[in-house]
This record gives sequence, C-alpha cells and structure tokens, in this order.
Amino acid sequence: MTLVEKILARASGRTRVEPGEVVVADVDLILLHDLSGYLTARVFEEKVRLPMRYPERVVMVFDHHFSPPTEEGARLLLENRAFARRYGIRLFDCGHGNIHNVAVWAGLVRPGMVVVGSDSHTPVHGTLGCFAAALGNDSHAALGFPYGKAWFRVPSTIRIELEGMPKPGVTPRDVALWLAATIGEGGAVYKALEFDGPYLRRLGFWDRWLFPLLTVDVGAKCGYMEPDEVTEAFLRSVTREPYEVVRGDPDRAYEAVWRYDVSELEPQVACPPTVGNVKPVTEVAGRPVQWAELGGHGGCRLEDIRLAARILRGRKKHPEVKFNIVPSSRSVFTQALREGLVEVLHEAGATWFPPSAGSNQAINMGAMAAGEAMISTHSRNFPGRNGSPEAKMYLASALTVAASAVAGCITDPREFLREERM
Amino acid sequence: MRFRGRCWKFGDYIPTDQIVPSHLVYRPMSEIVRHVLVNLNPEFPERVQPGDILVAGKHFGQSSGRAIAAKAIQATGIACVVAECFARTFYRNAFEIGLAILECPGISKAVQEGDVLEVDVESGWVRNETTGQELRGEPTPPFLMEMLRAGGLIPFAPRLLEEGWKA
Ligand code: SF4
Repeated sequence: MTLVEKILARASGRTRVEPGEVVVADVDLILLHDLSGYLTARVFEEKVRLPMRYPERVVMVFDHHFSPPTEEGARLLLENRAFARRYGIRLFDCGHGNIHNVAVWAGLVRPGMVVVGSDSHTPVHGTLGCFAAALGNDSHAALGFPYGKAWFRVPSTIRIELEGMPKPGVTPRDVALWLAATIGEGGAVYKALEFDGPYLRRLGFWDRWLFPLLTVDVGAKCGYMEPDEVTEAFLRSVTREPYEVVRGDPDRAYEAVWRYDVSELEPQVACPPTVGNVKPVTEVAGRPVQWAELGGHGGCRLEDIRLAARILRGRKKHPEVKFNIVPSSRSVFTQALREGLVEVLHEAGATWFPPSAGSNQAINMGAMAAGEAMISTHSRNFPGRNGSPEAKMYLASALTVAASAVAGCITDPREFLREERM
Repeated sequence: MRFRGRCWKFGDYIPTDQIVPSHLVYRPMSEIVRHVLVNLNPEFPERVQPGDILVAGKHFGQSSGRAIAAKAIQATGIACVVAECFARTFYRNAFEIGLAILECPGISKAVQEGDVLEVDVESGWVRNETTGQELRGEPTPPFLMEMLRAGGLIPFAPRLLEEGWKA
C-alpha cells in the first residue's frame, strides 16, 4: 500500500484498502477559516443538530481578515467567534496568519494524520506525510463535527519524481508553477500525488510545501511527501507531541510514475486567466504591473522574503508600484525581523501587512480596478478574484515579483541577479 | 434518476469564483442566486428555469472548495449539471448537498444552448433530444447514488455510520 492507502486503512479500522473503495475514516484535525467556519456552523446547527463530538480536533483561523474593513465582515467574525466559544474550539483570531501555515507552525499537523478542511489548499499538509484533503461544509457538519469522521473514495496514486539542478534564478516556486501547468488543470483528477526525487529531497521543508500545494489545481485529491530527516527536523522545531511516521510499502503500486528534469527551466509566470497558463518570464517581460505582493494562499514564507531581499537590498521599488508584503504567520515575521529583512524591504518601499492570507479574494485588501495588474506569489489568478474581472493577476516566484516591483513591469529576475554575482 | 430539461451551456475551467462572484460569498442565498454565473452569461440568473440543465466543459467548479458554488447552482433550480469533468471539490460538494451531476466526455461538442437534454445520472446515459445524439457519460458509483437519493450527506450520514459501506 502507498502512504495514503495505509493512513486511510488505519483510520477506517481496516487492514487493507484498494483504490476506488469508499471508506469512512476517523479524522484527526478539521481546519476552518473565517470564510468557511460560520457556513459550516450554520449547516451544523440548523440542519444537523447533533452535539459536537471532538471539539479538540477542530481549529479555526481567521486568515482572510486581519481587521474587518466592513461591518458585514465584523459580524461574520463575531459569528465565527461565538461558534468557536460555544464548542470550545481553538481559535486563532485576526493577525495570526494563513490558516495552513499557522496550523503547521503551531505543531498541530503531524505525520500519519488525517487532516481535512474547507479550504481548497488543505492538501498542502501532505508535506508532513499526512493524508490531507479539502472537503465541503456539509461534510464537516454532517460527519466531522458529530462523529469525528469523513468519507473518502481511496484515490489511486501517481508518483512524481523531480530531478536535476535548476539554473540560477529559478526557484522552487518556478518549478511548482511549471509542474502545475505541465500536469494541467484537471490533469490528475482524484489522484493522490506522491512527490519525490532528488530535486525535492534536497529542498527544505517550506520549499517542499509548494508542491502538495499545487495538487488542488491539477484536480488531485491529495499530495504528499514521505517524511525524511528534513521533515522530522522541522517537526521537532515546532512540537514535542508524539507522532507515527507512515511510509508506503516497498511493493506499493502506482497508477503511473511521471519523471521530470528541472534543469532547463526558466523562471515561470502563470498568466491570467488560469493557473494552467504558465509561460517563461521572457515571453511576458515588459507587461506593466501596478501591484506586487508576497502573500496569499500558500503564504509568504520566510524563503520568499529572503529571495525578495536579494533583489531589493539597496534598491527602490518603482514609484508607481505598490508592493505589499504579507507574512504567512507571526513566526515568519519574527524571523524576518531577526534577519533584518523587515528593514531591507521597508527601505525599498514595500509595505508590511499583518500576517494573513493577503489579498486572496480581496476580502481585506488587494482589490484592483479594471486595467490594473498584480504580480504575486498567490496560487490563484482567475479573473474577478481581486476586484474587477478586467484586472490581471500574474503568479511568479518572489524573485520575479521583487524584480517586477523594481522595474514596474514583469521582469526576468536574472537581470538583477547577474550583478549580485559580480 | 432521470432528468429532462432545456440546457444552458458554459465553457471550460470555470472557477467557483465565476459561479458565485467572490465579493458576494457572505450575502444571503436569495441575493447570491441572482448573480450565479452572471459574468459569463448575464441572462443566466435572470432566465434560468427550475428543471433546466447546465452543461459545462472541463474541470468545472475549480478553485475554492466552498460548497456555496454548488448550493448556488442548486438554488437557481438547475436540476442537473453535465460537464466534461469536474473539479473534485465541486464533485464531492454536489453529491453532499444532493445536486445531481454527471461527467460526460464529449458533451460540450454535442449540445448547443437551448437544446433539450435527457440525462440518466445513474447509468451515465445522455440524449440530446434536439439532435437525437446519444452519449455515454460516466456511470455514477452506487455510493454516490445512495447519497443523492437520500437527498445529500446530512440525511444519509446516520445510515452510513450505522450500516457502514461495503462497495
Ligand atoms: S482564496 Fe485561497 S485561501 Fe482563500 S478560501 Fe480560497 S483557496 Fe482558500
């Protein structure tokens, strides 16, 4: 069995499961955010009307709001808060950061777990060797809250191996953008993606994070990496809770194995209207942008801030670009402070925002007018997510975002890095 | 489970943000329903009739996994959604709320807006009455058919836990 099959078998009290079977499994963690919590709560209290069985397994994070800009937003947060309080659910209120990054930094996610949530990027927790999946409100309300369970159809597994050494200026996010486009939107529908290979094994924990993050956009059910020393070292830095590492059996069966070499890649940009529309930066360089942002669903990781600082140290952003930095968690901000990066980016003209999900869906920030364009480290670029449907969203690495913020248009970061090496 | 209705046709890769515009997600359903898919076809929310069938292309309902997209389509009175394929979050949400949907490769080419379709969700059989063409979609797994017949996951849950599920 693969890691996912083993976790699902154990969680449903079976010795074996096969792809295609439906199982009802015990859930270890249910993650809700401010946009999903109250909706789930309403279904649970109005339609299901049963007691909450395991409130200690439910966690709520307010990440789309760091400070509600409207009365409506404030009311919605109150509704969420009251629900959390009624049931004794752990709440991370405004200002903690992006739901997934917060949960991981708090040590709540550990190998071998079954993690579910309403946010579509919930599969990102597979980075820790979990089975993690995004489910709808009704799933949590009908099975999760009252019984601590969820139903799953066991997915078949595709193994993805990445190898090779990327060129300078090509970051893990470029590789992830390219990989999502190569697999294609809907290119791995309902599969489990097992990420491995020498390229990924060389990456640190938060760079690996970008790969399970992309699974939803290619239609996969979940994505994961089997834990190794890197995973365990990271875990020890955030929690002392015990956990049990699950790995696939040596004779596990894959539906397919896909191998890619990343050595020849250029920096990549996902252009509107969808995440599948990825092009080498050289093809889109020169398109004007008025907004740049490090932030979003995958979160602005410390790695992103460090990359941006490589470009911005001693430089200024373009006067017509607004450059927003939204750390994915308070831990990330603390570390950026310690490394002096807060000052570097501030001096370059960037604006620091509170830890949150950034301008995702422009709930708390980041709306654009028709004709405006943003380049960001988000993971979505569908029209209308950030204000006008006629505004444009480009997704790129932190290097490319920073270089573009300096130039005022989409820019190949290697132009700046060349000087760095001299 | 069979449906017969006039169809509305949409394209490929439609995200949930286009089904329900992001800025409306926390408005009441009575308001959301007047904006479903409005950016792609302004006539749709105005003219959709209960029992109509929605036809879409590839990976329908991608992006955010909130069930509100499926609930909003259900609230318009659409009886059934037929697409080339669905985003998994949407697929699951639809069955959990009791909205019938069917994956049917080739459907986009086989229908024009306004054609009358007959759809059998269980077997996956689709017939375009206007042109006479028949298609074979993906049969719906028995587990999901049970959930759909029960009216969604909430009414289905007690039985599921009591009797378990042996597929
Ligand atoms: S915008 Fe991103 S973070 Fe927010 S609900 Fe959608 S997927 Fe989740």
